[in-house]
Amino acid sequence: MGLMPDRDLLPQLRLRLATQAGRAAALASRMAGKGSGASIRGKVMLQVDPDALAKLLRNRRIAAVTGTNGKTTTTHLLTAAIRQGTTDPDRRVVTNADGANLYHGIASALGEQPRADIAILETDERVVPRMVRDGRPEVLVLLNFSRDQMDRNHEIKFLGRSWREALAEAGEDGPVVVANSRDPLVVWAAGTARKTIWVDTGAGWNQDAALCPECGAVLVHEDRWDCPNCELTEPQAEYRVDGDEVIERDGTTWTLDLQVPGRFNRANAAQALAAARVMGIEPKVALEGMHEVTSPAGRYATTTFGDTTARLLLAKNPAGWAESLPLAQSDPLVLAIDAVAADGKDVSWLWDVDYEQLRGRRVVCTGPRALDLAVRLDYAGVEHIVQPDLMAAISGHPGMLLDVISTYTPFQQLRKLGGLA
Amino acid sequence: MSSSNPAPSTPVTPIGPVKIVLVYQSLLGIYGDRGNAVVCRERLTRRGIDAEMVVVEPGDALPTDGQLYLLGGGEDMAQISAMKAIREDGGLFTALGSGAVLFAVCAGYQICGNTFTVGDRDEVVEGLGLLDVDTRRGTERAVGEVLHRWNRPDGSASLLTGFENHGGYTTLGPKAAPLASVEVGVGNNGQGTEGAVQGRVIGTYPHGPVLSRNPELADHLLELALGRELEPLPMPELDELRAQRIAHARTLSR
Repeated sequence: MGLMPDRDLLPQLRLRLATQAGRAAALASRMAGKGSGASIRGKVMLQVDPDALAKLLRNRRIAAVTGTNGKTTTTHLLTAAIRQGTTDPDRRVVTNADGANLYHGIASALGEQPRADIAILETDERVVPRMVRDGRPEVLVLLNFSRDQMDRNHEIKFLGRSWREALAEAGEDGPVVVANSRDPLVVWAAGTARKTIWVDTGAGWNQDAALCPECGAVLVHEDRWDCPNCELTEPQAEYRVDGDEVIERDGTTWTLDLQVPGRFNRANAAQALAAARVMGIEPKVALEGMHEVTSPAGRYATTTFGDTTARLLLAKNPAGWAESLPLAQSDPLVLAIDAVAADGKDVSWLWDVDYEQLRGRRVVCTGPRALDLAVRLDYAGVEHIVQPDLMAAISGHPGMLLDVISTYTPFQQLRKLGGLA
Repeated sequence: MSSSNPAPSTPVTPIGPVKIVLVYQSLLGIYGDRGNAVVCRERLTRRGIDAEMVVVEPGDALPTDGQLYLLGGGEDMAQISAMKAIREDGGLFTALGSGAVLFAVCAGYQICGNTFTVGDRDEVVEGLGLLDVDTRRGTERAVGEVLHRWNRPDGSASLLTGFENHGGYTTLGPKAAPLASVEVGVGNNGQGTEGAVQGRVIGTYPHGPVLSRNPELADHLLELALGRELEPLPMPELDELRAQRIAHARTLSR
């Protein structure tokens, strides 16, 4: 044994200081009643040590999960799969389970478990290039790509281009990419990866995939999608989702048997299954782990609000609503809309959601932008009332399971009101 | 009259349902602008006027017998593809020559002009030439809630609320008149005007969709397309929404 040379010691000292400062800030934030303090912890850490994230990512086996929708749930599924196949998982596996997926949130989670050698990291689309460069993940899961928060992301292709560049730059040191073969933007973005495992997740949202991301021609969407003008085409998948089954190319079939609902989550689970395998977890073991996942960061959680029992669903953009609306079966149904930064400030997207499918049921419109939804529902011919106050909108429905679909900000408020966060 | 001047002074009363044509939803539909077509159809059917919404995608022929054509916002590449497809198809020009009305939003508005650029590129693209306007990359992207004073043809004014999100700045030539004057927001180019009107072609920037938030503008387009006045259509929640958005916009100093 002996002292580490100074050039190693100093950076480690600084990281330790940063971690301690972050922890103190998080404690102060919790005591002030301002939530878990995860974000402030990461923020303080990165202020004290700007290299903290890169240092914290080093010397771990990393699986990163990104995409427009399903990041949090897929991260939970993949974490459960890997924990199931890892001895002493509490010590060895770290994840940002709360959905805090920017630099601060990731640094915060890693800082709390410096000794965990496996990290499953939900990664915001904008953080992917840095994750690929500094984290050198073993596997990168690319779920899907659709319009979201258009006031901020004017060109969805811009993000895809940044992934392509990062994967190209990483070259042979880059991750194995597990990617959704049904999504043209994902396929294009993964095009520079050293190795890609394609998962055919079935037909889903493709309204943001009109044009070929490579050459700009109008894509042909039939059984498979194809660019009539260039080489980009739907790749042959290693795994295919069919109902509750995931079928490998050689015919081997796995049954998902999930507790999280919906077609969309079966697609997420298939990608988690493929990613877990890259990390060395047998499918049978991975499935056992994934079966235990019920309500990732409050999604699909059932809780009580006064006299009412409600199930919370999150939908952040037209693709998300297309998946969530069919899951919500209650009558009445509560829909909560806001338009602050985290939701996207432009609610025009309400008109890209097929609310017409709710005709014949009653909707309670709530949240600060309840009136925007009310006008949308009026034109859609859906019976509704307006109650902007979340608690008042939900309570008063005893004797039933009330479904509540929210955009991001009301969803987080409801988790708190329902005692889930 | 000779065939060189096909535009009739009053539109022909349609036989069958009023046809509202949504042009290339997959290319010009990322900001909910299809809602403009839904609003127009509903505002007619609720008054007992038979109306249909026709959604046309690239590769399908644009109908030439529509009364109202709608273009929406889209991304850079989609904007150019849409412009080329409209020009190659030619049906829109035929319809306008027969007295149809065209209402174009954001990227759709830009492609109606003489020329435009897209995104960060400096290449100047020739537009459809339906509006005497030119669009170039602006100093900074215009993003946020807007409030505009719409100068109605009868001399009265009405407020327009919506959400603008555009990087291009548009300058009007002598043949186009501004649709509105800016109270809050950037508008055409930060010089106080918003949108353009030239004959039966109207272009403007805001989403919302703009016709869902501004029923008087929707009815104006429909009256223009049908050649007759429409009776009032009360929607109390819409009045409340407008009041809320107008009050909110006035708190913004962008």
